Amino acid sequence: MEARRQRPRVLLAKSFIDSHDRAIETIAKVLRDAGMEVILLDYELAQQVGSAADQEDVDVIGVSFMSGGQVEVTKELFRSMRELGVGDIPVVVGGTIRPFDVEELEGTGVKAIFRGGEPLDSIVKTFADLAEQSRN
Amino acid sequence: MPTMEKETPRRSPREAWNETVEKRYPGADFDRENRSGIDVKPVYAREDAERHAPSDSMPGQFPFGRGIYPIHYQYQPWMDLQIIGYGTASDLRERMELLDREGGSRGYFGGSAFNVIFDMPTSMGFDPDYPGVRGSIGDAGVSICKASDYETLLAGRDLSKTHFSMVANAGSPAMLALYLAAAARMGFAGEQLHGNITNYIWDFFGHCGGMNFSPRGSYRLALDVCAYCVDKAPHFGTVTFSEHNICEAGATNVQAVALALAAVIALNEECVKTGVDIDPIASGYGFHMRFGEDFFEDVAKTRALRSLYAKINAERFGCTAPNALKARIHAQTAGSLLTVQQPKNNIVRNAYGALAAVMAGVNGMTINAYDEALGLPTEEAVTLSLRTSQIIGEETGVKQVSDPLAGSFYVESLTSEIETACLDYIEKIDEQGGLIPCIESGWARAEVAASAYEWRREVESGERTLVGVNKFTGEDSGETAVFRPDPGVADRAIADLERHRAGRDQTATDAALARLREAGTTTMAGGEIGSTTAALVAAAQADATLGEMQSVLFDVFGRNK
Repeated sequence: MEARRQRPRVLLAKSFIDSHDRAIETIAKVLRDAGMEVILLDYELAQQVGSAADQEDVDVIGVSFMSGGQVEVTKELFRSMRELGVGDIPVVVGGTIRPFDVEELEGTGVKAIFRGGEPLDSIVKTFADLAEQSRN
Repeated sequence: MPTMEKETPRRSPREAWNETVEKRYPGADFDRENRSGIDVKPVYAREDAERHAPSDSMPGQFPFGRGIYPIHYQYQPWMDLQIIGYGTASDLRERMELLDREGGSRGYFGGSAFNVIFDMPTSMGFDPDYPGVRGSIGDAGVSICKASDYETLLAGRDLSKTHFSMVANAGSPAMLALYLAAAARMGFAGEQLHGNITNYIWDFFGHCGGMNFSPRGSYRLALDVCAYCVDKAPHFGTVTFSEHNICEAGATNVQAVALALAAVIALNEECVKTGVDIDPIASGYGFHMRFGEDFFEDVAKTRALRSLYAKINAERFGCTAPNALKARIHAQTAGSLLTVQQPKNNIVRNAYGALAAVMAGVNGMTINAYDEALGLPTEEAVTLSLRTSQIIGEETGVKQVSDPLAGSFYVESLTSEIETACLDYIEKIDEQGGLIPCIESGWARAEVAASAYEWRREVESGERTLVGVNKFTGEDSGETAVFRPDPGVADRAIADLERHRAGRDQTATDAALARLREAGTTTMAGGEIGSTTAALVAAAQADATLGEMQSVLFDVFGRNK
């Protein structure tokens, strides 16, 4: 158990109807290369992300949105996490996030937002730092 | 007086050049491998082009590498098909009217043309009230789920003079059925309609791993749509093989051309398996290609695709119908190369991509809006894309000569090398039993993903420049306006759907959906190809919704996940 906790554990999720996987697959690979355990999930309902995070005991959740739905789904995700008692798992959002989405997303409690062109190093560092905080 | 180099008579200019380069840049290697793995030299000469024996055909002649028409833009310029879609049908009418006003809905021969993209629930075949999709309604495309939505969208338009192009994924067959049902209600028979439906069901996003029909089910269903249209909507383009989307998922140009052609082969093989005549089916095929990554390779890959397509259909499948050999190509500039940083740079990127497409002799064009990396396009951005096309068309002079890069030592050599590389790649696919097994085994997706990762690695390391992202990164000049669709769109779409369900003849709808299930089951078993789409149109006429039809299709043709 102790050994597993040495490695940050991350859930990366994307809606079943979104289908633009290129970014999330790339992030999954760089996080794995950086020594993290990554679980990839295609979800229909935001609640499925919350319960996967709970059951898999992850340190960070990353949700990708390339074709809309970010605000609605993220709000729903936080609601379900709170219901499951895991409302403190940090959530990171990536994708085509518009300026007017930012305030609402941050309002829900999102810890970081990554748009196109973000250096991979800084993404890895954010996940690592959040995982660290999440475990302590 | 400077001493002149003495000419040795037996030395060719090429040999002399080699010696000069060797002397001036000792040990330097100026060859570069392009992303497709083709060695690109610093200069090309006659023998490079001749060694590869370029076709000396004229445009409009087999194998059509030089273009599918003897005279092209001089007589009929490319069709501008700006992608539009947001909100509900009544919202989107505004954007269609903008295009009408700005000369952006110019179809062929005086008609008009529109290229509509649906929101993700619609594109995948789900109604607005499907659990979990609410946030995406009308957000990255227009929400449509019943025939009456098309009637709202198109009210007052003469559909016999409108090229209506629909960008959809797994929802393609049912979305076509809704359009045909709406057109019939508006008084237009299938024979009068022009346009196309993506219907590239599995591959549309399959290369990047989304939810979809099962690979086998999707090819069977795609063929069913084709067969129906051959009879009932003969001027409708029935499949758009998207080289563009494979590139956007991260593939190299050679991988994308080869995978798109492998999809053609797979669909043709469905014809063979089910005893359907290929000629009329292939006459409805079209391609969607991506431009903007590598100017000359973009031109060369297009010439290569046209000629490979003609040869595959003629030689491998015995096609003889003229339209079954001509690859009609819709170009789109590369969305994945547009950047959030310094977004106005995207205007320039789009213009170069569009110029390459015109040099390649494409038939239709979507120039992305420069603000697409930020969100949905504003009116200003859509208009600017249109102006880009209009400036290329009306001001640069490039329309005057067909296939203007023909005879370029480099372009001819590159065209041949791409053809050879694509044939090798197709052979690899054939050795694995064809594209469907390559999809099922995960091979196709892994290939594309590996190239996507490599591209990203090059950007991260700085080997590949993205201006404003990893080089020349200055402050952005200021905020860029971003289009905001009406946040009330989901409520309106759902309320409208509830009214629709309450007001219809439920017995008739249920009966039509039951007939759809029977027809689908027969088609999936290899019988009565075309009958499933006929049953879809009947169900759409009986007020069945997109999601209700799709749910039957998923049952019958299977889901991939």
